Amino acid sequence: MGWVVVIAESSPAEAESPPKADKQQPAVLIKGRGTEVAFNLDENAPLEDVARELDSQLAGQTTLFSKGGISVNTGNRHLAADEEEEIRRIFREKSGLKIARFISATGASAERVHDDVGPLVSQDARPSVVEEPPVHRTRKNPTPLSEFSSADLARALSGMSPQGQRTRDRALVVRGTIRSGETVQHLGDLVVLGDVNPGSEVLADGDIVVMGSLKGLPHAGASGDNKAAVIALEIACPRVRIGGAEANAPVSGSVAAKRRKQASTAAQPAIAYIRQGKIHVSPFAGRFARYTKGVPYEG
Amino acid sequence: MKGRTIVITSGKGGVGKTTATANLGSALAMRGHRVVVIDTDIGLRNLDVIMGLENRIVYDLVNVIEGRCRLRQAMIQDKNRLELYLIPAAQTRDKDSITPEQLKALCAELENEFDFILIDCPAGIEQGFKNAVAAAGEAIIVTTPEVSSIRDADRVIGLLEATGLHRPKLIINRISAEMVKRGDMMGQEDVESLLAVEVIGLVPADERTVAAANRGIPAVHDGRSTAGAAFTRIAARIDGEEVPLKELDARPGVFNRLRDMVGIKGRAYSHA
Repeated sequence: MGWVVVIAESSPAEAESPPKADKQQPAVLIKGRGTEVAFNLDENAPLEDVARELDSQLAGQTTLFSKGGISVNTGNRHLAADEEEEIRRIFREKSGLKIARFISATGASAERVHDDVGPLVSQDARPSVVEEPPVHRTRKNPTPLSEFSSADLARALSGMSPQGQRTRDRALVVRGTIRSGETVQHLGDLVVLGDVNPGSEVLADGDIVVMGSLKGLPHAGASGDNKAAVIALEIACPRVRIGGAEANAPVSGSVAAKRRKQASTAAQPAIAYIRQGKIHVSPFAGRFARYTKGVPYEG
Repeated sequence: MKGRTIVITSGKGGVGKTTATANLGSALAMRGHRVVVIDTDIGLRNLDVIMGLENRIVYDLVNVIEGRCRLRQAMIQDKNRLELYLIPAAQTRDKDSITPEQLKALCAELENEFDFILIDCPAGIEQGFKNAVAAAGEAIIVTTPEVSSIRDADRVIGLLEATGLHRPKLIINRISAEMVKRGDMMGQEDVESLLAVEVIGLVPADERTVAAANRGIPAVHDGRSTAGAAFTRIAARIDGEEVPLKELDARPGVFNRLRDMVGIKGRAYSHA
Protein backbone atom coordinates (compact mmCIF):
# COMPACT_ATOMS: atom_id res chain seq x y z
CA MET A 1 0.00 0.00 0.00
CA GLY A 2 1.13 3.48 -0.74
CA TRP A 3 4.01 2.52 -2.97
CA VAL A 4 4.39 3.66 -6.49
CA VAL A 5 6.64 2.05 -8.99
CA VAL A 6 7.36 4.14 -12.01
CA ILE A 7 9.29 2.37 -14.67
CA ALA A 8 10.40 4.99 -17.10
CA GLU A 9 13.16 5.42 -19.63
CA SER A 10 15.00 7.72 -17.29
CA SER A 11 14.98 5.26 -14.43
CA PRO A 12 18.60 4.27 -13.89
CA ALA A 13 17.67 1.16 -11.95
CA GLU A 14 16.14 -0.46 -14.98
CA ALA A 15 18.42 -2.69 -16.96
CA GLU A 16 16.24 -3.07 -20.01
CA SER A 17 15.66 0.44 -21.19
CA PRO A 18 12.90 0.94 -23.77
CA PRO A 19 14.04 1.52 -27.32
CA LYS A 20 12.86 5.09 -27.69
CA ALA A 21 14.79 7.12 -25.14
CA ASP A 22 13.88 10.52 -26.55
CA LYS A 23 10.21 10.36 -25.57
CA GLN A 24 9.02 12.70 -22.84
CA GLN A 25 6.50 10.37 -21.28
CA PRO A 26 6.86 6.67 -20.60
CA ALA A 27 4.49 4.62 -22.68
CA VAL A 28 3.78 2.42 -19.67
CA LEU A 29 3.46 3.80 -16.16
CA ILE A 30 2.99 1.37 -13.29
CA LYS A 31 1.30 2.45 -10.09
CA GLY A 32 0.06 0.80 -6.96
CA ARG A 33 -3.60 1.38 -6.33
CA GLY A 34 -4.52 -0.06 -2.97
CA THR A 35 -3.98 -3.79 -3.23
CA GLU A 36 -3.89 -3.78 -6.97
CA VAL A 37 -1.38 -2.64 -9.50
CA ALA A 38 -2.41 -0.32 -12.28
CA PHE A 39 -0.66 -0.16 -15.62
CA ASN A 40 -1.27 3.20 -17.24
CA LEU A 41 -0.75 2.97 -20.95
CA ASP A 42 0.14 6.20 -22.70
CA GLU A 43 -2.91 7.02 -24.79
CA ASN A 44 -0.90 8.94 -27.40
CA ALA A 45 1.93 6.53 -28.05
CA PRO A 46 1.48 4.07 -30.90
CA LEU A 47 0.07 0.79 -29.67
CA GLU A 48 3.07 -1.14 -31.01
CA ASP A 49 5.40 0.94 -28.85
CA VAL A 50 3.17 0.41 -25.85
CA ALA A 51 3.09 -3.32 -26.47
CA ARG A 52 6.85 -3.50 -26.89
CA GLU A 53 7.49 -1.55 -23.72
CA LEU A 54 4.97 -3.57 -21.78
CA ASP A 55 6.71 -6.66 -23.03
CA SER A 56 10.07 -5.56 -21.70
CA GLN A 57 8.69 -4.23 -18.42
CA LEU A 58 6.96 -7.44 -17.60
CA ALA A 59 9.89 -9.73 -18.22
CA GLY A 60 11.10 -10.94 -14.83
CA GLN A 61 8.70 -8.83 -12.77
CA THR A 62 6.36 -11.62 -11.68
CA THR A 63 7.14 -11.60 -7.96
CA LEU A 64 6.48 -7.90 -7.64
CA PHE A 65 2.94 -8.08 -8.90
CA SER A 66 1.74 -11.46 -7.77
CA LYS A 67 -0.12 -10.25 -4.68
CA GLY A 68 -2.78 -8.07 -6.15
CA GLY A 69 -5.10 -7.71 -9.10
CA ILE A 70 -3.90 -6.15 -12.28
CA SER A 71 -5.72 -3.33 -13.95
CA VAL A 72 -4.84 -1.69 -17.21
CA ASN A 73 -5.72 1.95 -17.74
CA THR A 74 -5.84 2.89 -21.40
CA GLY A 75 -6.71 6.54 -20.81
CA ASN A 76 -8.62 8.02 -23.70
CA ARG A 77 -7.61 5.23 -25.98
CA HIS A 78 -10.41 2.83 -26.77
CA LEU A 79 -9.04 -0.63 -27.44
CA ALA A 80 -10.62 -2.82 -30.04
CA ALA A 81 -11.31 -6.40 -29.02
CA ASP A 82 -8.23 -7.75 -30.79
CA GLU A 83 -6.01 -5.03 -29.34
CA GLU A 84 -7.30 -5.83 -25.89
CA GLU A 85 -6.61 -9.48 -26.52
CA GLU A 86 -3.06 -8.61 -27.57
CA ILE A 87 -2.43 -6.83 -24.25
CA ARG A 88 -3.90 -9.77 -22.37
CA ARG A 89 -1.66 -12.12 -24.28
CA ILE A 90 1.45 -10.11 -23.32
CA PHE A 91 0.49 -10.27 -19.67
CA ARG A 92 -0.32 -13.95 -19.84
CA GLU A 93 2.85 -14.97 -21.61
CA LYS A 94 5.35 -12.66 -19.96
CA SER A 95 4.16 -12.75 -16.39
CA GLY A 96 1.52 -15.42 -16.07
CA LEU A 97 -0.76 -12.76 -14.61
CA LYS A 98 -4.37 -12.25 -15.48
CA ILE A 99 -5.75 -8.79 -16.02
CA ALA A 100 -8.57 -8.06 -13.61
CA ARG A 101 -9.94 -5.23 -15.64
CA PHE A 102 -9.46 -2.62 -18.30
CA ILE A 103 -10.16 0.98 -17.41
CA SER A 104 -10.63 3.75 -19.88
CA ALA A 105 -11.13 7.42 -19.16
CA THR A 106 -14.29 9.43 -19.51
CA GLY A 107 -13.59 10.42 -23.08
CA ALA A 108 -16.17 10.35 -25.80
CA SER A 109 -14.50 7.41 -27.45
CA ALA A 110 -14.36 5.33 -24.33
CA GLU A 111 -17.73 3.74 -24.01
CA ARG A 112 -17.27 0.65 -22.04
CA VAL A 113 -15.76 -0.64 -18.91
CA HIS A 114 -14.32 -4.06 -19.06
CA ASP A 115 -14.30 -6.05 -15.91
CA ASP A 116 -12.88 -9.44 -16.58
CA VAL A 117 -13.25 -11.76 -13.65
CA GLY A 118 -9.74 -11.90 -12.26
CA PRO A 119 -8.27 -14.20 -9.62
CA LEU A 120 -9.37 -11.96 -6.75
CA VAL A 121 -12.93 -11.76 -7.84
CA SER A 122 -13.26 -15.41 -8.73
CA GLN A 123 -12.78 -16.44 -5.09
CA ASP A 124 -15.99 -14.65 -4.39
CA ALA A 125 -19.07 -16.77 -4.82
CA ARG A 126 -21.27 -13.86 -5.69
CA PRO A 127 -21.69 -12.76 -9.27
CA SER A 128 -19.27 -10.13 -10.40
CA VAL A 129 -20.19 -6.54 -9.83
CA VAL A 130 -18.96 -3.68 -11.91
CA GLU A 131 -16.82 -1.67 -9.57
CA GLU A 132 -15.65 0.97 -11.97
CA PRO A 133 -16.50 4.63 -11.67
CA PRO A 134 -19.32 5.37 -14.09
CA VAL A 135 -18.15 6.03 -17.58
CA HIS A 136 -19.86 8.81 -19.43
CA ARG A 137 -21.08 7.93 -22.83
CA THR A 138 -22.12 10.34 -25.51
CA ARG A 139 -25.49 9.67 -26.92
CA LYS A 140 -25.62 7.88 -30.21
CA ASN A 141 -27.72 9.16 -33.01
CA PRO A 142 -31.16 7.88 -32.34
CA THR A 143 -32.28 5.14 -34.64
CA PRO A 144 -35.84 5.50 -35.91
CA LEU A 145 -38.04 3.00 -34.16
CA SER A 146 -39.51 1.65 -37.34
CA GLU A 147 -36.17 0.58 -38.68
CA PHE A 148 -35.75 -2.51 -36.60
CA SER A 149 -37.65 -5.22 -34.91
CA SER A 150 -36.81 -7.01 -31.74
CA ALA A 151 -35.58 -10.04 -33.66
CA ASP A 152 -33.24 -7.93 -35.75
CA LEU A 153 -31.82 -6.40 -32.64
CA ALA A 154 -31.29 -9.71 -30.99
CA ARG A 155 -29.33 -10.77 -34.03
CA ALA A 156 -27.42 -7.52 -34.18
CA LEU A 157 -26.51 -7.68 -30.53
CA SER A 158 -25.37 -11.28 -30.66
CA GLY A 159 -23.32 -10.44 -33.71
CA MET A 160 -21.60 -7.70 -31.75
CA SER A 161 -20.26 -10.14 -29.22
CA PRO A 162 -16.55 -10.45 -29.94
CA GLN A 163 -16.13 -14.02 -28.78
CA GLY A 164 -19.54 -15.12 -29.89
CA GLN A 165 -20.65 -15.47 -26.30
CA ARG A 166 -22.28 -13.36 -23.68
CA THR A 167 -20.14 -10.87 -21.86
CA ARG A 168 -22.17 -10.13 -18.79
CA ASP A 169 -19.29 -8.32 -17.19
CA ARG A 170 -19.45 -5.33 -19.47
CA ALA A 171 -21.61 -2.50 -18.18
CA LEU A 172 -22.52 0.80 -19.72
CA VAL A 173 -23.54 3.71 -17.54
CA VAL A 174 -25.62 6.44 -19.15
CA ARG A 175 -25.98 9.63 -17.18
CA GLY A 176 -29.12 11.58 -17.83
CA THR A 177 -32.58 11.16 -19.19
CA ILE A 178 -33.20 9.00 -22.23
CA ARG A 179 -35.78 10.88 -24.21
CA SER A 180 -38.46 10.02 -26.70
CA GLY A 181 -37.02 8.80 -29.98
CA GLU A 182 -33.67 7.87 -28.52
CA THR A 183 -32.33 4.35 -28.45
CA VAL A 184 -29.53 3.13 -26.25
CA GLN A 185 -28.26 -0.34 -26.86
CA HIS A 186 -25.38 -2.10 -25.27
CA LEU A 187 -23.76 -5.47 -25.35
CA GLY A 188 -23.73 -6.16 -21.64
CA ASP A 189 -25.52 -4.69 -18.66
CA LEU A 190 -26.95 -1.21 -19.00
CA VAL A 191 -27.32 1.30 -16.19
CA VAL A 192 -29.26 4.52 -16.72
CA LEU A 193 -28.82 7.25 -14.12
CA GLY A 194 -32.02 9.05 -14.97
CA ASP A 195 -35.44 8.43 -16.42
CA VAL A 196 -36.23 6.43 -19.50
CA ASN A 197 -39.02 8.45 -21.08
CA PRO A 198 -41.93 7.20 -23.18
CA GLY A 199 -41.05 6.66 -26.82
CA SER A 200 -37.46 5.67 -26.13
CA GLU A 201 -35.88 2.23 -26.19
CA VAL A 202 -33.21 0.70 -24.04
CA LEU A 203 -31.70 -2.59 -25.10
CA ALA A 204 -29.07 -4.62 -23.40
CA ASP A 205 -27.55 -8.00 -23.78
CA GLY A 206 -27.66 -8.32 -20.00
CA ASP A 207 -29.69 -6.61 -17.30
CA ILE A 208 -31.16 -3.14 -17.53
CA VAL A 209 -31.02 -1.02 -14.40
CA VAL A 210 -32.79 2.34 -14.39
CA MET A 211 -32.15 4.68 -11.49
CA GLY A 212 -35.30 6.55 -12.30
CA SER A 213 -38.67 6.01 -13.81
CA LEU A 214 -38.85 3.53 -16.66
CA LYS A 215 -41.51 4.54 -19.15
CA GLY A 216 -39.88 3.64 -22.44
CA LEU A 217 -39.49 0.18 -23.93
CA PRO A 218 -36.88 -2.00 -22.25
CA HIS A 219 -35.43 -5.14 -23.77
CA ALA A 220 -33.14 -6.98 -21.41
CA GLY A 221 -31.26 -10.05 -22.58
CA ALA A 222 -31.85 -8.86 -26.10
CA SER A 223 -29.81 -11.61 -27.68
CA GLY A 224 -32.06 -14.21 -26.17
CA ASP A 225 -31.18 -14.49 -22.49
CA ASN A 226 -34.33 -15.23 -20.53
CA LYS A 227 -32.48 -14.90 -17.24
CA ALA A 228 -31.90 -11.19 -17.73
CA ALA A 229 -33.95 -8.73 -15.70
CA VAL A 230 -35.18 -5.17 -15.85
CA ILE A 231 -34.81 -3.21 -12.63
CA ALA A 232 -36.03 0.34 -12.12
CA LEU A 233 -36.97 2.70 -9.32
CA GLU A 234 -40.34 2.68 -11.01
CA ILE A 235 -41.48 0.34 -13.74
CA ALA A 236 -44.14 2.37 -15.50
CA CYS A 237 -43.67 1.18 -19.05
CA PRO A 238 -46.59 -0.26 -20.94
CA ARG A 239 -44.50 -3.07 -22.37
CA VAL A 240 -41.52 -5.16 -21.30
CA ARG A 241 -39.25 -7.39 -23.36
CA ILE A 242 -36.90 -9.89 -21.79
CA GLY A 243 -35.03 -12.35 -23.95
CA GLY A 244 -37.54 -13.75 -26.36
CA ALA A 245 -40.58 -12.81 -24.29
CA GLU A 246 -42.70 -9.71 -24.57
CA ALA A 247 -45.61 -8.63 -22.44
CA ASN A 248 -47.91 -5.73 -21.71
CA ALA A 249 -48.60 -4.14 -18.37
CA PRO A 250 -51.93 -5.39 -17.04
CA VAL A 251 -53.45 -2.09 -16.13
CA SER A 252 -53.96 1.06 -18.06
CA GLY A 253 -56.01 4.05 -17.19
CA SER A 254 -56.67 7.69 -17.76
CA VAL A 255 -54.31 10.42 -16.75
CA ALA A 256 -56.49 11.00 -13.73
CA ALA A 257 -56.38 7.35 -12.74
CA LYS A 258 -52.60 7.32 -13.02
CA ARG A 259 -52.32 10.44 -10.96
CA ARG A 260 -54.51 9.08 -8.24
CA LYS A 261 -52.55 5.88 -8.24
CA GLN A 262 -49.29 7.78 -8.01
CA ALA A 263 -50.57 9.86 -5.16
CA SER A 264 -51.82 6.91 -3.12
CA THR A 265 -48.94 4.52 -3.60
CA ALA A 266 -45.53 6.01 -4.02
CA ALA A 267 -43.53 4.47 -6.84
CA GLN A 268 -41.33 1.71 -5.59
CA PRO A 269 -38.30 -0.07 -7.03
CA ALA A 270 -39.37 -3.04 -9.07
CA ILE A 271 -37.90 -5.88 -11.05
CA ALA A 272 -39.23 -7.53 -14.18
CA TYR A 273 -38.13 -11.09 -14.81
CA ILE A 274 -39.21 -14.24 -16.54
CA ARG A 275 -40.88 -16.92 -14.49
CA GLN A 276 -42.17 -20.03 -16.19
CA GLY A 277 -41.91 -18.38 -19.56
CA LYS A 278 -43.93 -15.33 -18.55
CA ILE A 279 -42.82 -11.87 -17.59
CA HIS A 280 -43.59 -10.93 -14.00
CA VAL A 281 -42.99 -7.71 -12.10
CA SER A 282 -42.30 -7.65 -8.36
CA PRO A 283 -41.10 -5.13 -5.83
CA PHE A 284 -37.33 -5.16 -5.95
CA ALA A 285 -35.66 -7.20 -3.23
CA GLY A 286 -32.19 -7.60 -4.68
CA ARG A 287 -31.06 -8.80 -8.07
CA PHE A 288 -30.56 -12.39 -7.00
CA ALA A 289 -33.32 -12.73 -4.49
CA ARG A 290 -35.71 -15.60 -4.95
CA TYR A 291 -38.71 -14.19 -6.72
CA THR A 292 -41.91 -16.10 -6.88
CA LYS A 293 -45.07 -15.04 -8.58
CA GLY A 294 -45.24 -11.31 -9.11
CA VAL A 295 -47.71 -9.31 -11.15
CA PRO A 296 -47.90 -11.31 -14.36
CA TYR A 297 -47.71 -9.25 -17.52
CA GLU A 298 -49.96 -10.20 -20.37
CA GLY A 299 -48.09 -11.54 -23.31
CA MET B 1 -22.90 43.41 -26.04
CA LYS B 2 -23.99 40.71 -28.42
CA GLY B 3 -27.65 39.81 -28.64
CA ARG B 4 -29.16 36.50 -27.60
CA THR B 5 -30.70 34.27 -30.22
CA ILE B 6 -33.47 32.15 -28.76
CA VAL B 7 -35.43 29.54 -30.68
CA ILE B 8 -39.01 28.91 -29.63
CA THR B 9 -39.95 25.38 -30.52
CA SER B 10 -42.21 22.51 -29.49
CA GLY B 11 -42.24 19.61 -31.91
CA LYS B 12 -46.00 19.44 -31.90
CA GLY B 13 -48.00 21.99 -33.80
CA GLY B 14 -50.68 24.22 -32.38
CA VAL B 15 -49.32 24.47 -28.86
CA GLY B 16 -48.66 28.19 -29.05
CA LYS B 17 -45.14 28.70 -30.40
CA THR B 18 -46.12 31.59 -32.60
CA THR B 19 -48.28 33.19 -29.92
CA ALA B 20 -45.44 32.82 -27.45
CA THR B 21 -42.97 34.35 -29.90
CA ALA B 22 -45.21 37.35 -30.59
CA ASN B 23 -45.90 37.90 -26.91
CA LEU B 24 -42.34 37.43 -25.70
CA GLY B 25 -41.04 39.65 -28.48
CA SER B 26 -43.49 42.40 -27.55
CA ALA B 27 -42.87 41.99 -23.82
CA LEU B 28 -39.10 42.15 -24.24
CA ALA B 29 -39.45 45.22 -26.44
CA MET B 30 -41.72 46.81 -23.82
CA ARG B 31 -38.91 46.28 -21.35
CA GLY B 32 -36.78 48.52 -23.55
CA HIS B 33 -34.89 45.91 -25.54
CA ARG B 34 -34.26 45.93 -29.23
CA VAL B 35 -35.89 42.77 -30.54
CA VAL B 36 -36.23 40.94 -33.85
CA VAL B 37 -38.63 38.07 -34.31
CA ILE B 38 -38.03 35.75 -37.25
CA ASP B 39 -40.74 33.52 -38.65
CA THR B 40 -39.01 30.41 -40.02
CA ASP B 41 -42.22 28.60 -40.84
CA ILE B 42 -41.68 29.07 -44.56
CA GLY B 43 -44.79 28.21 -46.53
CA LEU B 44 -47.09 28.43 -43.51
CA ARG B 45 -46.36 31.81 -42.09
CA ASN B 46 -48.43 32.99 -39.15
CA LEU B 47 -46.38 35.28 -36.98
CA ASP B 48 -47.19 38.29 -39.16
CA VAL B 49 -50.91 37.65 -38.70
CA ILE B 50 -50.66 37.29 -34.94
CA MET B 51 -48.70 40.54 -34.79
CA GLY B 52 -51.12 42.27 -37.15
CA LEU B 53 -48.43 43.06 -39.70
CA GLU B 54 -49.68 40.96 -42.58
CA ASN B 55 -50.50 43.92 -44.80
CA ARG B 56 -47.09 45.47 -44.48
CA ILE B 57 -45.08 42.58 -45.87
CA VAL B 58 -43.06 43.48 -48.94
CA TYR B 59 -39.95 41.32 -48.59
CA ASP B 60 -39.45 38.15 -46.57
CA LEU B 61 -36.81 35.92 -45.03
CA VAL B 62 -36.09 34.04 -48.26
CA ASN B 63 -35.69 37.32 -50.16
CA VAL B 64 -33.09 38.44 -47.63
CA ILE B 65 -31.20 35.18 -47.76
CA GLU B 66 -31.23 35.09 -51.53
CA GLY B 67 -29.96 38.64 -51.60
CA ARG B 68 -33.00 40.10 -53.35
CA CYS B 69 -33.33 42.83 -50.75
CA ARG B 70 -31.40 44.33 -47.92
CA LEU B 71 -31.97 42.99 -44.44
CA ARG B 72 -33.50 46.28 -43.31
CA GLN B 73 -36.07 46.17 -46.10
CA ALA B 74 -37.49 42.88 -44.85
CA MET B 75 -37.74 44.05 -41.25
CA ILE B 76 -41.22 45.29 -40.40
CA GLN B 77 -41.56 47.45 -37.33
CA ASP B 78 -44.21 46.61 -34.77
CA LYS B 79 -47.54 48.43 -34.85
CA ASN B 80 -46.96 50.06 -31.50
CA ARG B 81 -43.68 51.54 -32.71
CA LEU B 82 -41.76 49.46 -30.21
CA GLU B 83 -38.18 48.53 -31.00
CA LEU B 84 -39.58 45.27 -32.32
CA TYR B 85 -39.11 44.05 -35.85
CA LEU B 86 -40.53 41.10 -37.71
CA ILE B 87 -38.79 39.22 -40.48
CA PRO B 88 -41.67 37.29 -42.04
CA ALA B 89 -41.42 33.90 -43.70
CA ALA B 90 -42.02 33.46 -47.41
CA GLN B 91 -45.43 32.04 -48.07
CA THR B 92 -44.84 30.74 -51.58
CA ARG B 93 -41.66 28.80 -50.88
CA ASP B 94 -40.78 25.81 -48.73
CA LYS B 95 -38.46 24.90 -45.89
CA ASP B 96 -35.67 23.86 -48.22
CA SER B 97 -35.35 27.41 -49.54
CA ILE B 98 -32.90 28.23 -46.80
CA THR B 99 -30.13 26.32 -45.10
CA PRO B 100 -29.16 26.25 -41.42
CA GLU B 101 -25.89 28.01 -42.27
CA GLN B 102 -27.68 30.89 -44.00
CA LEU B 103 -29.96 31.50 -41.04
CA LYS B 104 -26.99 31.23 -38.71
CA ALA B 105 -25.16 33.93 -40.66
CA LEU B 106 -28.26 36.14 -40.65
CA CYS B 107 -28.69 35.85 -36.89
CA ALA B 108 -25.00 36.48 -36.30
CA GLU B 109 -25.44 39.74 -38.21
CA LEU B 110 -28.55 40.67 -36.22
CA GLU B 111 -26.88 39.87 -32.91
CA ASN B 112 -24.55 42.83 -33.40
CA GLU B 113 -27.44 45.24 -33.49
CA PHE B 114 -30.23 43.72 -31.40
CA ASP B 115 -30.59 42.46 -27.86
CA PHE B 116 -32.88 39.56 -28.65
CA ILE B 117 -33.49 37.54 -31.77
CA LEU B 118 -36.46 35.23 -31.31
CA ILE B 119 -36.85 32.47 -33.86
CA ASP B 120 -40.34 31.09 -34.31
CA CYS B 121 -39.73 27.46 -35.22
CA PRO B 122 -42.12 25.47 -37.39
CA ALA B 123 -43.74 22.32 -36.04
CA GLY B 124 -42.06 19.04 -36.73
CA ILE B 125 -38.45 17.95 -36.59
CA GLU B 126 -37.56 18.17 -40.26
CA GLN B 127 -35.69 20.77 -42.30
CA GLY B 128 -37.57 23.75 -40.87
CA PHE B 129 -36.71 22.69 -37.35
CA LYS B 130 -33.07 22.13 -38.28
CA ASN B 131 -32.89 25.58 -39.85
CA ALA B 132 -34.41 27.28 -36.84
CA VAL B 133 -32.35 25.44 -34.27
CA ALA B 134 -28.97 25.87 -35.94
CA ALA B 135 -28.85 29.61 -35.39
CA ALA B 136 -29.97 29.61 -31.77
CA GLY B 137 -27.86 29.84 -28.66
CA GLU B 138 -30.76 29.14 -26.35
CA ALA B 139 -34.04 27.33 -26.64
CA ILE B 140 -37.49 27.69 -25.17
CA ILE B 141 -39.82 24.72 -25.48
CA VAL B 142 -43.54 25.38 -25.51
CA THR B 143 -45.79 22.56 -24.41
CA THR B 144 -49.36 22.18 -23.33
CA PRO B 145 -50.18 19.86 -20.42
CA GLU B 146 -51.23 17.09 -22.78
CA VAL B 147 -49.41 13.80 -23.19
CA SER B 148 -48.98 14.18 -26.94
CA SER B 149 -47.47 17.61 -26.60
CA ILE B 150 -45.22 16.51 -23.77
CA ARG B 151 -44.05 13.48 -25.71
CA ASP B 152 -43.06 15.70 -28.62
CA ALA B 153 -41.38 18.16 -26.30
CA ASP B 154 -39.37 15.29 -24.86
CA ARG B 155 -38.27 14.26 -28.32
CA VAL B 156 -37.32 17.82 -29.19
CA ILE B 157 -35.33 18.25 -25.99
CA GLY B 158 -33.38 15.13 -26.92
CA LEU B 159 -32.73 16.49 -30.41
CA LEU B 160 -31.69 19.87 -29.04
CA GLU B 161 -29.25 18.22 -26.67
CA ALA B 162 -27.84 16.24 -29.56
CA THR B 163 -27.17 19.48 -31.42
CA GLY B 164 -25.52 21.02 -28.39
CA LEU B 165 -28.40 23.15 -27.12
CA HIS B 166 -28.43 22.09 -23.51
CA ARG B 167 -30.78 23.03 -20.72
CA PRO B 168 -33.70 24.40 -22.67
CA LYS B 169 -36.39 26.27 -20.74
CA LEU B 170 -39.97 25.16 -20.70
CA ILE B 171 -43.18 27.13 -21.04
CA ILE B 172 -46.30 25.22 -20.09
CA ASN B 173 -49.03 26.83 -22.11
CA ARG B 174 -52.81 26.73 -21.71
CA ILE B 175 -52.76 25.28 -18.25
CA SER B 176 -56.03 25.29 -16.36
CA ALA B 177 -55.73 25.55 -12.60
CA GLU B 178 -59.22 24.20 -12.28
CA MET B 179 -58.53 21.06 -14.28
CA VAL B 180 -55.22 20.45 -12.56
CA LYS B 181 -57.01 20.69 -9.25
CA ARG B 182 -59.57 18.13 -10.35
CA GLY B 183 -56.79 15.80 -11.47
CA ASP B 184 -57.90 15.92 -15.08
CA MET B 185 -54.84 17.78 -16.29
CA MET B 186 -51.18 17.34 -15.62
CA GLY B 187 -49.80 20.02 -13.38
CA GLN B 188 -46.43 21.68 -13.34
CA GLU B 189 -44.83 18.99 -11.19
CA ASP B 190 -46.00 16.23 -13.50
CA VAL B 191 -44.64 17.90 -16.59
CA GLU B 192 -41.46 18.93 -14.85
CA SER B 193 -40.74 15.48 -13.48
CA LEU B 194 -41.25 13.87 -16.85
CA LEU B 195 -39.22 16.32 -18.90
CA ALA B 196 -36.61 17.16 -16.28
CA VAL B 197 -36.03 20.68 -17.57
CA GLU B 198 -36.47 24.06 -15.92
CA VAL B 199 -39.92 25.60 -16.21
CA ILE B 200 -39.64 29.27 -17.10
CA GLY B 201 -43.35 30.00 -17.05
CA LEU B 202 -46.88 28.75 -16.78
CA VAL B 203 -49.36 30.38 -19.10
CA PRO B 204 -52.99 29.95 -18.12
CA ALA B 205 -55.61 29.08 -20.67
CA ASP B 206 -57.16 32.43 -21.48
CA GLU B 207 -59.84 33.22 -24.03
CA ARG B 208 -58.48 36.70 -24.40
CA THR B 209 -55.37 35.26 -26.10
CA VAL B 210 -57.54 34.07 -28.96
CA ALA B 211 -59.22 37.45 -29.24
CA ALA B 212 -55.85 39.19 -29.13
CA ALA B 213 -54.48 36.97 -31.89
CA ASN B 214 -57.52 37.66 -34.06
CA ARG B 215 -57.08 41.39 -33.58
CA GLY B 216 -53.37 41.15 -34.34
CA ILE B 217 -52.36 42.64 -31.01
CA PRO B 218 -50.37 40.29 -28.76
CA ALA B 219 -52.00 39.62 -25.38
CA VAL B 220 -49.22 41.36 -23.46
CA HIS B 221 -50.76 44.65 -24.57
CA ASP B 222 -54.04 43.65 -22.95
CA GLY B 223 -53.94 44.57 -19.28
CA ARG B 224 -56.76 42.19 -18.44
CA SER B 225 -55.28 39.12 -20.05
CA THR B 226 -53.89 36.61 -17.53
CA ALA B 227 -51.91 34.93 -20.32
CA GLY B 228 -50.49 38.29 -21.31
CA ALA B 229 -49.39 38.91 -17.74
CA ALA B 230 -47.78 35.48 -17.68
CA PHE B 231 -45.81 36.27 -20.84
CA THR B 232 -44.71 39.58 -19.34
CA ARG B 233 -43.34 37.70 -16.34
CA ILE B 234 -41.61 35.15 -18.59
CA ALA B 235 -39.96 38.00 -20.47
CA ALA B 236 -38.68 39.34 -17.15
CA ARG B 237 -37.24 35.91 -16.36
CA ILE B 238 -35.58 35.69 -19.76
CA ASP B 239 -34.12 39.08 -18.92
CA GLY B 240 -32.55 37.56 -15.81
CA GLU B 241 -35.00 38.90 -13.27
CA GLU B 242 -36.04 36.69 -10.37
CA VAL B 243 -39.78 36.41 -10.65
CA PRO B 244 -41.40 33.58 -8.70
CA LEU B 245 -43.61 31.24 -10.67
CA LYS B 246 -47.10 32.04 -9.48
CA GLU B 247 -49.19 31.88 -12.57
CA LEU B 248 -51.78 29.48 -11.28
CA ASP B 249 -54.54 30.58 -8.95
CA ALA B 250 -53.46 30.37 -5.36
CA ARG B 251 -54.59 27.12 -3.87
CA PRO B 252 -53.48 24.99 -0.92
CA GLY B 253 -49.96 23.83 -1.37
CA VAL B 254 -48.86 26.67 -3.57
CA PHE B 255 -46.26 27.76 -1.06
CA ASN B 256 -44.90 24.27 -0.87
CA ARG B 257 -44.59 24.22 -4.60
CA LEU B 258 -42.82 27.56 -4.58
CA ARG B 259 -40.45 26.32 -1.95
CA ASP B 260 -39.79 23.27 -4.10
CA MET B 261 -38.98 25.50 -7.00
CA VAL B 262 -36.58 27.61 -5.03
CA GLY B 263 -34.80 24.47 -3.93
CA ILE B 264 -35.01 22.87 -7.33
CA LYS B 265 -31.26 22.61 -7.75
CA GLY B 266 -31.10 20.21 -4.86
CA ARG B 267 -33.52 17.80 -6.42
CA ALA B 268 -32.31 14.42 -7.40
CA TYR B 269 -33.38 14.70 -11.00
CA SER B 270 -32.27 18.24 -11.64
CA HIS B 271 -28.91 17.17 -13.04
CA ALA B 272 -30.44 14.93 -15.60
